[in-house]
Amino acid sequence: MSSVPVEQPAVTAALETPSRGFWSEAWRQFRRRKLSLAALAFVIGMGVSALFAPAIAGTKPLVTRYKGELYFPAMAYYNRSWENAIFRTQDKFRGRYPQNLKQKDPESWAIWPLVYQDPQRRLYRDEWEGIPPNPTGAKGKPYLYYLWLKGWDSLFGTNYVEEEFGELLKDGPLPFNLFGATDRGVDVFAQMVHGAQTAMLVGFVSMGIAAAIGITTGAAAGYFGGWIDILLSRVIEVVMCIPALVLILALLAIVERPSIWHIMVVIGITGWTGIARLTRGEFLKLKQMEYVTAAKALGAGRARIMFRHILRNALAPILVPIAFGIASAILVESALSFLGFGDPTRPSWGKLLDQGRDSIQEMWWLILFPGLAIFFTVLAYNLIGEGLQEATDPRMRQAGH
Amino acid sequence: MISYIVRRVLIGVLTLFVITFLVYGLIRSMPGTPLTTALAEMDPTKSIRQEDFERLKRTYGLDKPWYEGYVVWLANVAEGDLGRSIPRKQPVARLIGERIGATLLLTVPSLILAYVLSIPLGLWATAHSGTLRERTTSTALYMLYALPTFVAALYLQLLLAVKLEWLPLMGITSPDYAHMSVFGKAWDVFLHALMPMICFTYGSLAYETRFIKSNMEEVIRQDYIRTARAKGVGPVRVIVHHAFRNTLIPMVTLIGLTLPALLSGAVILERIFSWPGMGSLFFESLRERDYPTIMGLTLMFSFLTLLGQLLADLLYAVVDPRVTYS
Repeated sequence: MSSVPVEQPAVTAALETPSRGFWSEAWRQFRRRKLSLAALAFVIGMGVSALFAPAIAGTKPLVTRYKGELYFPAMAYYNRSWENAIFRTQDKFRGRYPQNLKQKDPESWAIWPLVYQDPQRRLYRDEWEGIPPNPTGAKGKPYLYYLWLKGWDSLFGTNYVEEEFGELLKDGPLPFNLFGATDRGVDVFAQMVHGAQTAMLVGFVSMGIAAAIGITTGAAAGYFGGWIDILLSRVIEVVMCIPALVLILALLAIVERPSIWHIMVVIGITGWTGIARLTRGEFLKLKQMEYVTAAKALGAGRARIMFRHILRNALAPILVPIAFGIASAILVESALSFLGFGDPTRPSWGKLLDQGRDSIQEMWWLILFPGLAIFFTVLAYNLIGEGLQEATDPRMRQAGH
Repeated sequence: MISYIVRRVLIGVLTLFVITFLVYGLIRSMPGTPLTTALAEMDPTKSIRQEDFERLKRTYGLDKPWYEGYVVWLANVAEGDLGRSIPRKQPVARLIGERIGATLLLTVPSLILAYVLSIPLGLWATAHSGTLRERTTSTALYMLYALPTFVAALYLQLLLAVKLEWLPLMGITSPDYAHMSVFGKAWDVFLHALMPMICFTYGSLAYETRFIKSNMEEVIRQDYIRTARAKGVGPVRVIVHHAFRNTLIPMVTLIGLTLPALLSGAVILERIFSWPGMGSLFFESLRERDYPTIMGLTLMFSFLTLLGQLLADLLYAVVDPRVTYS
């Protein structure tokens, strides 16, 4: 008898606290996987640095006060037409800000990006006093490599710095190309930071398109069933069977000069089949549930039932292929750039790899660093997808994972 | 069973029609024709007379609209003729025959290798689940799985060919191949094939090991495993005989789905290693707008994909007596 008064308050307390919502429970489960959490942090960090790429590496000031007015020339990195007309046409800066600002308005000041390097062109001599120009040919060795060899030499008493960098150091201070420079002297670090922008953009926009097509198709096929299902399932099967490369290259070739937006649309309209199949399955399962019948009885319309009642419950499993899909979209974009089908005006990791392949005998840094960037990004999205899968699947949760 | 197969085959044929029709329309609407791209490559100064150009177009049937061209192509395929490559002036079937060996040389060994390695690895990982060694191996395999093949290929080239100079950088034979002995020739091709083979293998190895382990994890918690253990069956026998046999069903599906990859090769890998296989043939014919070759390859790939799916479903019924299609 004595156990009853002890137990009772615990039971009522459990009843009084509101049960956790699905998403907060999923987040609690997701947080328990340290690797997925680290991957999420990595992706967020990557997204932030991609968003603020012009503030990290660039040759245009973020803010400048010139002839009494405030300007933001670095916005040109987002859209070329956003560069103020005064610098382009009126005062003819030609993209060279440091000298021009000083000469044309000695009173001017500017806030510069962290690293003064451009993703599109090489640094020229005397562009900025004290900053050496970028070397061309195979001489643009990574600054990081220099630091590494220096540390190695001081630890083990070897003389690798002299061996590798001796000739370059004779010409003056070493140019600050953290990850090296291409044979035309364009800084790799700047290209990679701005390339992260391309990768993130491709990942999210093309998966957004794919998710929209896939969810709509799958929802219609699963909810309506009958001949609509048969027809849409055939469409899904056909798209799955066409070799992806044919589809992508043929669609890209139709556009005269493909830009990054065309590439994103093409990746989106070729990558939706997995999402559609999963959505179809979820809808087939969920439309039998009691709450759908209840909603129908209350007179809810088809669209309302499909997108407010069923989709919200199907969203968790659909998020998993979307997370994996972002990884594969980034992969497809770098593969396309690697094959020479990318947007020629945008820096991309795949384009760097392509240049690295052409000069693989001497310029290893064009392969090592962009390769690592692609690898870690794909790994991070895969880990997030995996974490989502385990966090939102109640079967796995009960199994103690 | 028979009626199921007949229905599936009919649907498959219909799907093939739709796929080839769409692909034909797509590639015909790409700018440029095989005639213009081939001429531009030969000599830009040598311009062709307009009437000659029209005559060439008529010879290859390019003067007709694309849907008529498709019907002509389809009629030829029905007679067993895949057509002739326009820029290479050879039958498509022979072109494919020339390239198929190089691709099979890479894909067959790597497919076998992946299974031979992944089954013991997966079983070992299940038996030692949760230990430090298993965790390390599984994490390493997971990272391998996320490593894109073209990055891996370039890293391997940097390390093994450029830095260490152990293996040739690319191609399938050395320049002095013709003067080698039979054994020397085989060794030369083997050395050239090693890096692409590793690239073909590691991804599926990682995937299949994870696949086997996750299936085993599910089976190992079943009641009959506990019963087997309780009656004193040894740990190895439980894993191999009782548990693994019950994970064969999803494995069979996986094997069916890898069938198309056997012949399609991989475009990017074959390009990186300058490997004269199906992938590079496909890429070259896309660039040359070689319609008959693209169509022949597309037909083959989609046929294999559909066949693989059908085989997987049928094998499913063979391995699992509970599954019937009647």
